[in-house]
Amino acid sequence: MMAGRVAPAVFVLALVASSASASDALAWLTRASQAARQLNYVGTIIYQIGPRVESSRITHMNDDGREFAKVVNLDGPAREVVRTQGEVRCYYPDAKLVRVEPGTFRNVFPSLSAEQQQSLARYYDFRVVGDDRVGGRPVQVVVFEPKDGLRYGHRFWSDGATGLLLKARVLNERGEAVEQFAFSDLTMNARLDHAMVEPSWPVVPRDWQVLENVSGDVVPEDTGWIVARVPPGFEKIMEGWRKLRGRRERVAHIVFSDGLVSVSVFVEPLVAASAPAGFLQKGGLNVYSVKQDDHLITVMGETPGATVRQIAHSITHR
Amino acid sequence: MNEQISRLMDGEVDASEMDQLFSLLKGEPAMATWSCYHTIGDALRGETAVTRSVGPAVARQLASEPTVLAPRLHVPSRPQVSRMATWAWAAAASIAAVSVVGWTAYSLLDAPQELAQAGTPGTARSAQIRPLTVPPDYLLAHQEYAPANALQGVGPYMRDVAATSPLRPAIAE
Repeated sequence: MMAGRVAPAVFVLALVASSASASDALAWLTRASQAARQLNYVGTIIYQIGPRVESSRITHMNDDGREFAKVVNLDGPAREVVRTQGEVRCYYPDAKLVRVEPGTFRNVFPSLSAEQQQSLARYYDFRVVGDDRVGGRPVQVVVFEPKDGLRYGHRFWSDGATGLLLKARVLNERGEAVEQFAFSDLTMNARLDHAMVEPSWPVVPRDWQVLENVSGDVVPEDTGWIVARVPPGFEKIMEGWRKLRGRRERVAHIVFSDGLVSVSVFVEPLVAASAPAGFLQKGGLNVYSVKQDDHLITVMGETPGATVRQIAHSITHR
Repeated sequence: MNEQISRLMDGEVDASEMDQLFSLLKGEPAMATWSCYHTIGDALRGETAVTRSVGPAVARQLASEPTVLAPRLHVPSRPQVSRMATWAWAAAASIAAVSVVGWTAYSLLDAPQELAQAGTPGTARSAQIRPLTVPPDYLLAHQEYAPANALQGVGPYMRDVAATSPLRPAIAE
């Protein structure tokens, strides 16, 4: 019923779409990621992952280069994420639990390697599709369309004035949305004070459990694990050992990236014969686990399932 | 409408139809169908939220809903006797036969231990299957290196706090 009004506009936009170069893609990515970090904004985000739709309230503050953010889940239990300097705290009132994570956000785009910039252009068709409106604001629409079936497509709507991402969609091999988010309302350059990015529980209630995570600790080194069939354009960006909570043995972690998304390979010694194995899809993230001799191999990435499966079945030890 | 919602849940709706469906979902009847289907889906996957209240509209719909559902479970492995409460039903099981009480039971799968202790495990388990779950530590380790996440600021963490998050704040075994 409403689609009729929308469709012609989309058609016109498609006609004016133009091809752009790798440097355009990088410039666009850099602008969007910097806007996400530098601006002060308050808004409501509608988030769809697979079949689920949820909404969250997000407050982001940049106080003289120091970033603070708070995300409160508006549906179901009032879970929240509070990000301060060097730390991310996830509050789960329903579980009486606080999870503390190292604040590892890497703003990778300004520093993509020359190879990664080339991959972006070689394996994705980057196009500025045209103009649109999101949440009442004019936006520029861009697409990263994969040139092979080993990657997902990405469609981004960025604020015309600031570059901030107002809407993003991950499209599968058949062009269907598997994950997306959009601001339904947004106030930019808002006047914020620190109280707005404080957790609702400044002091953790005594009966809550606090879980400190050490997953940020990684020792970069050769793990001896070899990944033979990495899709073209994916470069190894990290290899090392991680000590993960609750595991006695350290886990090998190897990361590949094509400049836009990444795929992680985890290898850990198999402790129990009952370890879970198989496929899992959560929105735009696919996970595949397979037992190999006395190890469990898990591959996860923002790619189609076939890609993570192919990688998982090509891993050997030197 | 029900068919459209069902396709939406199965990820079979294309991008252009999505916006129309979302406005449809603002209406009461569509929303009831939506939450009904999700309650069913969650229960089938053993992901029932901690305190999901099943509204009267949903309950009515459950009673009249003839759909036959097959569990969407992942790779079956040997039966487990630990804290998994994944529901496994015969493909022919009609949802009308399923007690609403079951859906408010906690999913022990992936849930924090405190919930596991406080919860009432489901009793209708005909078999126990252990599907693949993502260790949260793996996900966090991965997210660190996912370039597109930098575009969204705190975006990636929304996956973690979503009410129906499959990635519950699990405590590693």
